[in-house]
Amino acid sequence: MTAPLAGIRVVDLTMVWAGPLGTRLLGDYGAEVIKVEGPGQWDLLRGLGGIPRTTPRWYNRAAYFNHNNRNKYSAAIDLRQPAGRDVLLKLLSKSDVLVENYRANVMDNLGLSFEEVRAANPRIVYVSMPGHGKTGPESNYVTYGTNVEQLAGLVSISGYEGGEPLKTGFSYGDPTSGIAVPAAVALGLQQVRRTGEGVHIDLAQRENLTGFVGEYLVDYSMNRQLRAPAGNTHPHHAPHGVYRCAGEDSWITIACETDEQFAALCRVVGQEELANDARYSTAAARKANEHELDGAIEEWTSRQGHYEAMHILQRHGVPAGAVLTIPEVMSDPQLRSRGAWSEQVHPDAGTWEVETPPWNLTRTPGHARLPAPGFAEHNTYVFRDLLGLSESTIAQLYADGVTADEPNVRSHT
Amino acid sequence: MPLPLEGVRVLEVGTFVSAPYCGRLFAGYGAEVIKVEPPGGDIARAHGPFKDGEPNPETSALFLYLNTSKRSVELDLGPQAGRDALLRLAADADILIENYRPGDARALGLDHERLRAVNPRLVVVSITAYGQDGPYAEYHSNNLIAFAMGGQMFLTGDPDKSPVKNGGYQADYQGGLNAFSAANLALLAAERDGEGQHVDISVQHCMAPILEAGIPFYAYNGLWLGQRRGNLMSSSMAIYPCLDGQVGVHVMARNWPNFAEATGHAEWLEDERYATAESRRAHDDELMAELITWAASLGKKEAYALGGEYRAPITFIHTMEDLLDSPQLAARGFLRRIEHPVAGEASYPGPPWWMGPDAWRDGPAPLLGEHTEEVLAGAGLSEGDIAIASGAGA
Repeated sequence: MTAPLAGIRVVDLTMVWAGPLGTRLLGDYGAEVIKVEGPGQWDLLRGLGGIPRTTPRWYNRAAYFNHNNRNKYSAAIDLRQPAGRDVLLKLLSKSDVLVENYRANVMDNLGLSFEEVRAANPRIVYVSMPGHGKTGPESNYVTYGTNVEQLAGLVSISGYEGGEPLKTGFSYGDPTSGIAVPAAVALGLQQVRRTGEGVHIDLAQRENLTGFVGEYLVDYSMNRQLRAPAGNTHPHHAPHGVYRCAGEDSWITIACETDEQFAALCRVVGQEELANDARYSTAAARKANEHELDGAIEEWTSRQGHYEAMHILQRHGVPAGAVLTIPEVMSDPQLRSRGAWSEQVHPDAGTWEVETPPWNLTRTPGHARLPAPGFAEHNTYVFRDLLGLSESTIAQLYADGVTADEPNVRSHT
Repeated sequence: MPLPLEGVRVLEVGTFVSAPYCGRLFAGYGAEVIKVEPPGGDIARAHGPFKDGEPNPETSALFLYLNTSKRSVELDLGPQAGRDALLRLAADADILIENYRPGDARALGLDHERLRAVNPRLVVVSITAYGQDGPYAEYHSNNLIAFAMGGQMFLTGDPDKSPVKNGGYQADYQGGLNAFSAANLALLAAERDGEGQHVDISVQHCMAPILEAGIPFYAYNGLWLGQRRGNLMSSSMAIYPCLDGQVGVHVMARNWPNFAEATGHAEWLEDERYATAESRRAHDDELMAELITWAASLGKKEAYALGGEYRAPITFIHTMEDLLDSPQLAARGFLRRIEHPVAGEASYPGPPWWMGPDAWRDGPAPLLGEHTEEVLAGAGLSEGDIAIASGAGA
């Protein structure tokens, strides 16, 4: 019943979202994750969320930071100072995995390249996850989440039917990279076991996300034809779209994939005759005339709540789902039934609900064991207990500003 | 050096996108992936786009892409002979991936207890819209519906229009990649003590927590914007039309000086309206108007080059043509040419991450049932049983 990653120690140099989500998943499934921030180079998410700077330890209370960093310890080390680099290499010599998401040349400039880390730990799994990858002419271009989806080709095929390319609703390239991290680390650990040698994993966020549009790339390379955004439509099935429901900005998706489902939809909306209408009686005919059906469907949906319409349609065998808002996903009966949210108690931030580990590994489930760490909360554990540094050495690290108990608040305004 | 997953045997009893994407990653990193297709084949074979626009089960770009480096076994799971054959294959597998509704999976004989009885080491990965239990577990879903119920759709689109899904099958791909991570964790656990397990992936549960700061800000701060923001989230996080396409900017406070320089507006650094992140927010409309004018004056590749030169987060919207022409992807060898016996040669995305030069392989997608005889004979079935199990004897 031990967790899949029990006994694995991860040094986490990542900041913001993609990396911290990935390492949090490692922690969720049993790894010991030590998040390293510099006294002046701390995760800028600590500063988001409108916590007044006059609140004690405001930097430990930011909700977005605390969601991405539970199940981690925190140590403060300034990697730009030689003594800080030495401490980090000592820590890496007692660890299994390093994850970093700096721009491509930052780790090399810090003297922490794969080769240098491997000299300290020949069995290290070293995971880099820069936007463009570690190599190539664009490797040092600055890129963040919304840039990633633009580079990956996704934006070019997204948008309303016949419309302009459209961005996703959030920095989609970040979480899609983060969820790849546990697999990358697992493959890395297996390879180290097999070969006895460390491995450098180079996860370019734009390449990983290009994997989510692969069929468009294959299509273009075969047919040399660019596909316009297709909105909510489907290449073959109809009706397949979003329809207005009662209430403000309230919507339902309906996706008929068979004649039977279409006939059932017609019955539910009180337009049974449409199922036998030559314009709609076959999949091809429906696809050709799909938008002519919108009015008849919306006439019914606009009189229903979105959940209510979903339940009625599903009872009749019609694929349908409500377009849930953020408050609605937090109260959704299905997610509640699955235990997707649970209370977290944090010594500085208080008590509120966070997401649980997403995957149900039934025999070795994930756990939310620890709330996100306060800044430098585990300095003593790391420096004294784990690395065995003497009291005087530790005192010197503090005196030289290599470590600190509080972040330098001037570094992110 | 052997491939990272060499020696791992995967049985994919999946259709369309999510389970096949998970299987594609297993196959690419070296696992032997046996794809079990129903008589007539995976429905992705019937979905285009097809080579030259002509429907053909061997030339669907969707199928070709999602099924690289796999072997195909055509198996009818209706009759007992087909189910027996599947159990024989499961007895010798490390992982089984499936993506049917829980009730449909049970009807096909894919319930975990039965599989566990023939192979206690087996990791069974189920990818479904809602998970194995709960009030909606048997509800019909697809990519569009999953996108809606996972909370991502409401955020996507223009403020004055309906929500809209992202291009392609994004909910399905998220399901596939989440499943790949979860499956490899379960594989580590099985290596430790020889015990498999059931891995239950709910696409809704994978999608709903990752709405950027949306969940934490609502759950902790009680804040919810409740509005879609299209291509113009703010002046500094936006997509702007340019001469020959669109450019994207994502400017954080620390990038502002470089960004102003890159746009040729060094004077903004002296402009008190733009002096701090806060003042830029207060003058967001003015800055946006300036940037609309700026973007309209230059070509997309020119803008991107300026971003590189000044280290400013400026990119351009890459079309598929731009991906094929990308100097960055070319230098890294990310695009792979794969020859398929029917569809011919085409470019395919490479691995989601690199772990050495020989860690990924690029075999073509299999023809329907190409490996039925070889695989089933290897599992000990007679010629007659193979014909019945694959549906050919009916």
